[in-house]
Amino acid sequence: LKFGIVRFPGTCDDVDALLAARRVGEAELLWHGDADLHGVDAVIIPGGFSYGDYLRVGAIARFAPVMAEVERFARHGGLVLGICNGFQVLCEAGLLSGALLPNTSLRFTCRQVGLDVVNASTPWTGACSVGESLSIPAKHTTGRYWAPDPVLDELEANGQIVLRYKAGENFNGSSRDIAGVSNKAGNVVGLMPHPEHAVDALTGSADGLKLFESAARVPA
Amino acid sequence: LGFDGVANVHVGRLVELDVPDASQVAAMCEQLLANPLIEDYEIQS
Repeated sequence: LKFGIVRFPGTCDDVDALLAARRVGEAELLWHGDADLHGVDAVIIPGGFSYGDYLRVGAIARFAPVMAEVERFARHGGLVLGICNGFQVLCEAGLLSGALLPNTSLRFTCRQVGLDVVNASTPWTGACSVGESLSIPAKHTTGRYWAPDPVLDELEANGQIVLRYKAGENFNGSSRDIAGVSNKAGNVVGLMPHPEHAVDALTGSADGLKLFESAARVPA
Repeated sequence: LGFDGVANVHVGRLVELDVPDASQVAAMCEQLLANPLIEDYEIQS
């Protein structure tokens, strides 16, 4: 399976995502101005500060030429993972429900967080089991997942809540402890913590690799 | 600093635009300048 990692001006976690993906398959960088996805089988929108995030987090990136192709790919069932700023971009693009608000602390926080896998049947969590704990770092200022209550109810009813912060770990104040959600079909997933930073025990945890392994299991 | 009676402090975003036709601005707000799910906006001319 071949991964494509989108690089916007201001993206900063693209190389970690590339190296993480290369542990389980092939991977290459996609440029924000690209008119096609180079034939990749899965797209990752990595973390960072696309276009500086000056207007609003993720607001400009969705208009990048490459995003028109990512949207088409996603709507046809293609595998798309948004991490941190990538999650914000997918929410702004309307590929995922809800939005990310400033942390309740109003401060940037960088820490290891404990997550529970809620849905292990998405292409991005298929190598996990329901209830499994993952230890993955999170680092953001604007990571408080929010959606209106009826939308949250619908996400829960459809199994679209993929990851939750464990009890006591919801440091940013996310609604219903949500750390990651999917679209209705499950092929598009977004999360605030950074699985690409947790792929080797040397740096404290290799739990993040499971998301990449999950996608790699999906027949190309 | 000794300032009394300050309440409801709000820091927001102000976008200034020169446009030939102000009737487009509401659509600009809906599509880009604001995220209507989480933000309110007000247009002044």
